[in-house]
Amino acid sequence: METSFALTGKGYVIVAADTTAARSIVKMKDDQDKIKELGSHLLMAYSGEPGPSNAYIIMPTQPTDPLLSFYSGDTIQFAEYVERNIRLYQIRHLYPLRPSAAASWIRRSLAVSLRSRNAFTVNLLIGGYDLADHKPTLYWIDYLGTVVEVPFAAHGYGSYFALSLLDRYHNPDATLEEGLATLKRCINEVSKRLVVSPDRYKVKVVDKDGVREVEL
Amino acid sequence: MSRSYDRALTVFSPDGHLFQVEYALEAVRKGTCAVGVRGKDVVILGVEKKSVLQLQDPRTVRKVVMLDDHICLAFAGLTADGRVLIDKARMECQSHRLTVEDPVTVEYITRHIAGIQQKYTQSGGVRPFGISTLIVGFDPHDTRPRLYQTEPSGIYSAWKANAIGRSSKTVREFLEKNHKDDMTREESIKLTVKSLLEVVQTGAKNIEISVMEGYGKITNLELSEIEAIVSEIEREKEAEAERKRTRLAATAARQAAMATRADAGQPSGQ
Amino acid sequence: MWGSQAGFGSLVKGVPSFVIPSVPDPAAFLRLHTDDHADPSCKIKIQHGTTTLAFRYQGGVIVAVDSRATAGSYVASGTVKKVIEINPYLLGTMAGGAADCQYWETYLGVHCRLHELRNRERISVSAASKYLSNLVYSYKGMGLSMGTMICGWDKTGPALFYVDSDGTRLKGNIFSVGSGSTFAYGVLDQEYRWDLPDEEAQELARRSIYAAGHRDAFSGNTCNLYQVKEDGWQFIGNYDITKLHYDGPGEAPGNGYGYDIRVEGQTSTDLPATAGQA
Repeated sequence: METSFALTGKGYVIVAADTTAARSIVKMKDDQDKIKELGSHLLMAYSGEPGPSNAYIIMPTQPTDPLLSFYSGDTIQFAEYVERNIRLYQIRHLYPLRPSAAASWIRRSLAVSLRSRNAFTVNLLIGGYDLADHKPTLYWIDYLGTVVEVPFAAHGYGSYFALSLLDRYHNPDATLEEGLATLKRCINEVSKRLVVSPDRYKVKVVDKDGVREVEL
Repeated sequence: MSRSYDRALTVFSPDGHLFQVEYALEAVRKGTCAVGVRGKDVVILGVEKKSVLQLQDPRTVRKVVMLDDHICLAFAGLTADGRVLIDKARMECQSHRLTVEDPVTVEYITRHIAGIQQKYTQSGGVRPFGISTLIVGFDPHDTRPRLYQTEPSGIYSAWKANAIGRSSKTVREFLEKNHKDDMTREESIKLTVKSLLEVVQTGAKNIEISVMEGYGKITNLELSEIEAIVSEIEREKEAEAERKRTRLAATAARQAAMATRADAGQPSGQ
Repeated sequence: MWGSQAGFGSLVKGVPSFVIPSVPDPAAFLRLHTDDHADPSCKIKIQHGTTTLAFRYQGGVIVAVDSRATAGSYVASGTVKKVIEINPYLLGTMAGGAADCQYWETYLGVHCRLHELRNRERISVSAASKYLSNLVYSYKGMGLSMGTMICGWDKTGPALFYVDSDGTRLKGNIFSVGSGSTFAYGVLDQEYRWDLPDEEAQELARRSIYAAGHRDAFSGNTCNLYQVKEDGWQFIGNYDITKLHYDGPGEAPGNGYGYDIRVEGQTSTDLPATAGQA
């Protein structure tokens, strides 16, 4: 099942997402990058929601009926649309959107789409570093267009385990090492308790120097 | 229903001209000059910058703009038209990345821009764009510099070096005389500045130079750098003039000497 | 409409469009008449049992498919071409609705050619697959059923993409699609590696399709094998799956893939050592 986590720390945001792309019971791919780099200091993790526009799609090409149709066309279509528009903004205006503005724009795109016939059903985590006030920021956005600024966040079944854990262990002034250690706690807990848990994650960090991928 | 009186369509004149398009070209000729020069593995855009008014912010007046990470555009003509066309081009650059997963090639975006310009010569209720553009850049996975030009009519073409705008004919003739294949970065910059100095009397402060040295590698020269190049060119010109003067003086002296000798060998008949 | 435009009349308008049933919910309408799983007496039975696979390796892309078409429990055909030759350097595979795959992949071929004429270079596999993906995504929820792999060779080397009618598009090294895909994966994953020699790669693909043809009731009959190299695709051969079971791919008999054939003469019986032999 799709899972993504993110947490802030002293001058950074860590964003992690599983790397599986599954169709019904089959793992089609286990190295899919589900975190888009929207700019030099902006990350977006995206995952699907088994919502109305996916639920009635039957896949007769697969051996069993799909349990839930996660991570289908919707998520990527939306993520790429966002990616190109954020880039266009930067080229047009010669400076990038700040994370808060980007999150607002993305939320609005989702809200507009929600009121159309074929809504995107995408859950997002947006992590950015605001160069203007040196603040790492994290936004949790769900497919209904809710946006909240939070110190840590999670989507998918993993959130049922990770949120309580993060309530207990998250520190806003943790160093990157400590932050990564907390992330590992989340990942390990999900591996331990979730029935079909993902086994690989991609982890990216954004801080004053920009975005980069880290190995756990 | 009225059929045509409210439609400003670009129509042919009896002798086959599209006057609106030709007037647009006239607007281009009134615009400030822009020069593009292709070197061995570098391509330069140089523009004549209008002096800003004392209280105006010079940063808001731009004639060289980025279309994408790897493509730059300069235009001559109506700045307001330029802004609109540039926005359309930028949209296309991102749209292309979205649908084809590759950045545009320089030729592709040139063709797209020329396509828009052409459309505005053949649609109702619109007038042509009053701008010509110079588009430079590098194609993805390629090291060859590219330089293209588009015109209000929708024509587009590739060049080794070219100029558009005010006195572009003079500048183009200068480039034709002085352009060499496989110029280095320094030679290309110098040629660009030199050609611009043909029309820009006020020197470095009214010149803007952008240098592209590979995919996504763009630098705008600082005023001091341009000043250095301009003064170097002036020194060279001075030296050249000096040489010419001495040569002239020498010739004059020689002629004078010859004349004296001739006089000496001939008895004066007076 | 049918004539010089050969069914691609929508090209004239630029934006792809296709007539959909004029009912409030086309998808529900289609499902009502085509879902033989829920209603065995439905009027239209869409062909959908299949095994197709493709993988990228050092020598290019190998594409292998079975050839059985089923409509409900009836084997409609045993000689279906499930590899669609889009153009000399692009192959598409067919799983799901046969008509959907055939039509839209041929349509894709038309657009690949137009791209080539406009841009004076071949379309990349990534662009071609994205074109198809965007196309089917625009029909999402309207009853298209496709699971296809777009295989080819471009500036980046051998390339393989999975595209389906949900709008999913994945780049990868190994894919298998269809009701028999799990059986094919079971064999394919075991011996796949990047530096497989051509011969071994072809053999692995054949064995994988055989495995699915053997285990999956909706796959079988024959296996069609293709290989994509730098200068385009080439057809390797058609193999009867029954023959693969008993005799193997070559002329010489005795190399059958079948379990019974492979283990003939072997036994698990572990008789205690008889006295006197100690």
